[in-house]
Amino acid sequence: MSHPAVELDGIWKRFPGVIANAGANLTVRPGTVHAVLGENGAGKTTLMNCLAGVYLPDEGAVRIDGNEMKFSSPADALAAGVGMVHQEFRLVPTFTVAENVVLGSAPRLISRTEINKSVAELAERFGFSAEPDRPIWQLSMGERQRVEILKALWRDARVLILDEPTAVLTPQEAEDLGRVLRQMVSEGRSVIFISHKLDEVTSFCDEATILRGGATVAASVDIHDVDSADLAELMVGESEKSTEANAERTTGMGDVVLSVDHVSVIDSRGLKAVDDVSIDVRAGEIVGVAGVAGNGQRQLTDAIAGLESCLSGTITLLGDDLTTAPPRARFGAGLAYVPEDRLGVGLAPKLPITENAVMRDYRQMSRGPILLWERAKEFSARLVEAFEVKVGRVEDRLASLSGGNLQRLLLGRELSSSPKVVVASQPTRGLDVHGVAAIQRLLIEQRDQGVGVLMVSEDLDELLVLSDRIVVMSEGRVAGVFDPREATRAEIGAAMAGVS
Amino acid sequence: MVLARREHPTRGGQPLAFLVGLIFALVVGALLLWSSGDPVVDTYQRMWERSFGSADVISATFNRAVPLALAGLAVSIAAKMGLWNIGAEGQILFGATAAAGMARIGDSWPGPVLIVAMLLAAAVGGALWALGPALARAEIGVSEIITTLMLNEVALRVIRYLQNGAWKDKEGFGFPQITPRPPQAELGQIWQRAHLGVLIAVGVIMFFAWFMNRSVWGYELRIAGSSAKAATYVGISMRAKIMGVMLLSGAVAGFAGGIELTGTATRLNENISNGFGFAGIIVAALALMRPSGVLLVAVAFGGLQVGGLSIQSLGVSSAVASILQALILFGAIGAAVLSTYQIKLVDRKVAS
Repeated sequence: MSHPAVELDGIWKRFPGVIANAGANLTVRPGTVHAVLGENGAGKTTLMNCLAGVYLPDEGAVRIDGNEMKFSSPADALAAGVGMVHQEFRLVPTFTVAENVVLGSAPRLISRTEINKSVAELAERFGFSAEPDRPIWQLSMGERQRVEILKALWRDARVLILDEPTAVLTPQEAEDLGRVLRQMVSEGRSVIFISHKLDEVTSFCDEATILRGGATVAASVDIHDVDSADLAELMVGESEKSTEANAERTTGMGDVVLSVDHVSVIDSRGLKAVDDVSIDVRAGEIVGVAGVAGNGQRQLTDAIAGLESCLSGTITLLGDDLTTAPPRARFGAGLAYVPEDRLGVGLAPKLPITENAVMRDYRQMSRGPILLWERAKEFSARLVEAFEVKVGRVEDRLASLSGGNLQRLLLGRELSSSPKVVVASQPTRGLDVHGVAAIQRLLIEQRDQGVGVLMVSEDLDELLVLSDRIVVMSEGRVAGVFDPREATRAEIGAAMAGVS
Repeated sequence: MVLARREHPTRGGQPLAFLVGLIFALVVGALLLWSSGDPVVDTYQRMWERSFGSADVISATFNRAVPLALAGLAVSIAAKMGLWNIGAEGQILFGATAAAGMARIGDSWPGPVLIVAMLLAAAVGGALWALGPALARAEIGVSEIITTLMLNEVALRVIRYLQNGAWKDKEGFGFPQITPRPPQAELGQIWQRAHLGVLIAVGVIMFFAWFMNRSVWGYELRIAGSSAKAATYVGISMRAKIMGVMLLSGAVAGFAGGIELTGTATRLNENISNGFGFAGIIVAALALMRPSGVLLVAVAFGGLQVGGLSIQSLGVSSAVASILQALILFGAIGAAVLSTYQIKLVDRKVAS
């Protein structure tokens, strides 16, 4: 009996304030495609970085073919046969395919024709059609990914880690990738496939290991023994998390305040990220949007806020058609938006706290072309106090705030204008227990004041506690609408996995 | 080892850093002078005397600082939004060209009227020279660094064309030079050799330092410069901001060309900018991209240039004089970096 190709044994990795891996295990047999599944923040990428030499684990053992390894750099890992294709490609755009493939590992004296020939041969062996002479900047994302894979194969990687490889691919390209992976494992190599798209996992992979909260909850599950719904349930977990929020209703629901009617949105790949979605939100109601990340939630909320344009359909706020209105007009009409990316979209990290606090309302604090900073400072001081944002001074740079305080500042700013509709995307992601509770309480307060809330979350427990209705999105479509008091986790999980 | 931005720059750290940088440069410069056989003390003494040693030379240094400060302001305005205007040189040249054109139209107008018209024309000319790069950047994302840089050369050719053709001085004994501007279009002296342009430049810079900090426009610019996505999210048009800031930057640089033509120069020629546009980038960098800082830096830089020229009469070769200037600049830039960043020894893996 041969050793496993990869064995990760009790890996711990801590970062300041965060435990990314808490005793995670992974065993990959040679000649298999092994899926590593988990929600965002489950610790998938950190675990893989420990295997690929990017991080040194705090505790635990990394064994390759039964030999214990201590990688202190990605080069060490490559030398031991472990290659990783990161989500962000690491290619030189102006170099050719062949130059990128051999970069750093070419013999000292090289003839271009020789290298081009051997790169083309390598590509052919794995069923790619590569043009070694083309510069990277001319290639599609799918073609670039193949160059990354070729890079690893050129260095004879026995284990190839792909971090969410299909996120940038069209369905056709994803299928091609599947064929390449099969060719690789038929040569006895192993592939580790990080994903949270369940249909791909069931069609590409042999086994799956599922992570939750940094630890392994199911190891080396044979993919043929389970279906997507089982995997979804393993990913989201069954435990009932306690929440400090008081979700009991105190008021009834009113009229529809936000109406999304047959809306479709095209993403950068030209595919329908949002496909004919209709959702109504009533005053005094929280509508939860559930789904595995990357199923169109971001494009949907961006379209509602006016950051993406709709291909078709209408968006109505308090009876007014705002489908083509610019973001500022929607805000003025009573729409508050908490985007998924707090830093960089919702807030500007390089500016002081005050300048972030008044980003929505500064036009009300000016006299002609001059901004009245005294008023702006008063405003931000009030905001900081009302929403319990812990700051040193409001003149400090935003970067001095912690995650929970950033989110309170952002949500506070959006709520301070007394909106009629709040769209919140992943408002509690990455926050600690207190931060989560505080944000949830604020959203419930809004609901009780008669505001309509649309909340996107990947945390099903949170949605089950807070929502009056749960809309599940899968592949850009509404895959089901559930009443959280009656629906079971299994039913919702099946809808998330696209099983009808 | 990495450079990490100081979260709280130490009080008084900046002047101290500049002093250290200056001393470093003077010591290395002394070694250089000594090895080339030049008198060390005399050279330094001459440099000081001819740049800041008397009221007369200080006023000349001020004149020199005017275009440097305005070019530095132009660069720092664009930098507020993360844009690099490398074309201040061309904008100064074309601004001066536009002012010279205005002088041809109004050569019989009274002085003050003509001067105002020329300065306005210069600002419009500079903005016009930035219009192409601004449009290309705002509409299709072409790097403004490349386009503004290339247009510098074009502006130079425009002047060369004019002095050989349409605007050639008919009384110039066949020399390829442009007709002098009307004598009444000259900014008067206000103190020693310093002309009125010094006051105007101070006013313009103080206005923009205040305006960028205090206005809604300047605030929106900071948001746009910090994060394009955040700007879009709060409803700021990135296109409008790019257009606005590039045109303003070009106008300020062009204005400097107008000041040169009505201040120190008597006619438009291809040396009217004398590298001020490029020096402006250094001035802006040394002022840490703050409009309020360019005045002081420009005066120091102007003195350095004037002083550097003067030591050649002592027999110091122009090459050594240039190296000496460059050394002092290096010292100052190093100091500027160290006063905002600190060197940290860190574990690479934790950092990544």
